[in-house]
Amino acid sequence: MRAGINAMHTAQRIPGHWRQQKQRRGWLRTFLLGIAFLICFLPLAWAILNSLGLRLEDTASPPTLTGALTLDNYGEVGIKEPSFWVEMVTSAAVALVTTFLTISIAFLAAYGLSRSRFRGRRLLVQGFLVLSSLPVMAYVIPLNDLMRRVRLYNTFGGLTLAETAIFVPLALYVVYGYLAGQSREMEEAARLDGATTVQVLWSVVLPTTAAALSATAIIIFVLSWNMYLVPLVITESRVRTLPVAIGDFLTYDRDMDWPTASAGMLTAVLPAIVMVVATHQRSERFSLAPAQENADNLSQS
Amino acid sequence: MHFVGFDNYASVLADSEFVGAWRNIALFILCSVSAELIIGFGVAYLMRNPFRARGLLRVVLLIPWLVSPIANGLMWHFLLDRNSGLLNFGLAALGLPIQPSPLSSSLALPVAMLTDIWRKWPLVSFLLLPGLISIPTVYWEQATLDGASIVSQIRHIALPRLRPLLLTIALLLVGDTFGTFDSILMLTGGGPGTATITPALYSYQKAFETHDWPLGVTSAWLVVLIVLIVGLCYVLLLRREVD
Repeated sequence: MRAGINAMHTAQRIPGHWRQQKQRRGWLRTFLLGIAFLICFLPLAWAILNSLGLRLEDTASPPTLTGALTLDNYGEVGIKEPSFWVEMVTSAAVALVTTFLTISIAFLAAYGLSRSRFRGRRLLVQGFLVLSSLPVMAYVIPLNDLMRRVRLYNTFGGLTLAETAIFVPLALYVVYGYLAGQSREMEEAARLDGATTVQVLWSVVLPTTAAALSATAIIIFVLSWNMYLVPLVITESRVRTLPVAIGDFLTYDRDMDWPTASAGMLTAVLPAIVMVVATHQRSERFSLAPAQENADNLSQS
Repeated sequence: MHFVGFDNYASVLADSEFVGAWRNIALFILCSVSAELIIGFGVAYLMRNPFRARGLLRVVLLIPWLVSPIANGLMWHFLLDRNSGLLNFGLAALGLPIQPSPLSSSLALPVAMLTDIWRKWPLVSFLLLPGLISIPTVYWEQATLDGASIVSQIRHIALPRLRPLLLTIALLLVGDTFGTFDSILMLTGGGPGTATITPALYSYQKAFETHDWPLGVTSAWLVVLIVLIVGLCYVLLLRREVD
C-alpha cells in the first residue's frame, strides 16, 4: 500500500531522461543476468551434448561437434557399473530418511530453543552454525572407528544416523530463524484454550512453519544426496551411494571414458536439479535470515 | 595405548606435503571465497528489483551448486581435457592452438579455484537475495533522489544491513572450502605432484590410503582448530552488531 503511494510520487517527479536511464539499466540487467545464466549452463550443456554422443572435432576449422545423437551412453553406464541403478535407489532412500529425521529433530529442538529464555541462547544458536561449518573431514576418521565399534559400520541405519547428526545443526539454525520471527499470539491462545504442547506443536506451529520446513528439507535433501565422504568412509559395497560410485569412475583403474562417465554423472545430478526446480515455489523460500526480514517488514508497516 | 605428547603434531608440521597443503588451502580460501562473495553479491544485486519469474531465476541460477562436488570435479576434469574439452573447443574456435589440460601444469591450483567458484557463487546469490529484497525500498529511493552512486548505495545501504547475513554466508563458505576434498580428488587427485593437495585430502590419504591414522587425525584436528577460531571471530563480529 505504502509502496504504491511512493511509486506514484516518484513517477510524477521523474523527468524524461531518468526514465530513459532506467530503461537502459533494465537492458543492462538483462544482459548481465544472461551472461551469468550462460556461465552457469555452458559447462553442463557441453556435458549433456557429450553424453548424447556428440564429440569435439577440433582438427576441423571452425571446430565442430560430430556424431549421431544416441542414448547408448546411458545404457552403457549400467554395463560398466552394474549396480548403478541400485546405488541410485540407495542414495534416494538415504537422502529421504536423513532429511525426514533431520527436519523432525531440528524442528523440535529449534522450537524448544526459540520458546525458552536463558542467557547465552543466541550464542548457542550461533554455536550450532559454527558446528555445521566444520568440514566433514575433521571428524570422519574417528567416525569410522566409532561406527565399527557400535556395529553400525556398512549399514543403512548407521549411514542415515551419521548424516542426520551432521545436518541437524544447519537445519536447526535455519528453522530457529523462522520460528524466532513468528508471532506467538496463536500459540498462547491455544494454550489458554487448554491445548497440550503436542497439540500446539501439531496444529498451530507446524502448519505455520510448514513452508519454511519444506524449503529447508529440500536443501538438506540436496546436501545428503551429494554427500561423498561419509558414505565413502563408513560404508562398503552393501550400502553404496551414487557419489561413491562416481568417485570410482576415475579411480580403481575403471577409467571410464568421458561419454559414459558424463552420462553417469548427469544421471546422478539430474534428480536433484529436477526436484529443486520443480519445487521452486517452495525452494525459493529458503532463507538464512528470515528473522531479520520479518523485523524489517514489521518496522515498515 | 601410550601418550606421545605433541610428537604427532611435530611430525605433521615437519612434513613438507602438509605445509604445502595448508599453503594451498590458504590461497584457495583467500581467492575463491572472496570471488564467490563478490560475484554472488553482484548477481543478487542485479536481481534486487522485482521482475517476472525472478523467484524461478533465483532457483535456476542455483543449479551449479546442485551439482555435487564429486560430479563437479569429474565434469571439469574432462571439460579441460585435451581431447574432449570445452576449453579446447573455445580455443580452436578462436583459431588458437590446442592446449594440454591446464590441470597438469602449474595452472592447476588457480584452475581448481575457478571450478570451485563456478559451483559456489550461485549459492551466495541464492542466500543473499532474500536479504537484499528485505531492505525497504524507501532507502533505495531516497539514495537515488540524493544522487548517490551505485558504489555508495552498496556501501551505505546494502552492506550495513546485510552484514550479519554476509558473515553467516562467509563462515559457511570458509568452513566448506577448508573441507575441499571430493572435487580435487576427481579433478587432479592432488597433483601434479602435490600442487593441489588440501589438508582434507592429506588427512584422507594418511588415514585411509597409507593407514597412518595418527597423522591423519592430527592434521584433521588442526583443521578443527582453525575453523573454530574462524567461528569465534564470527561470534565476536556479530556481538558488535548488537551493541
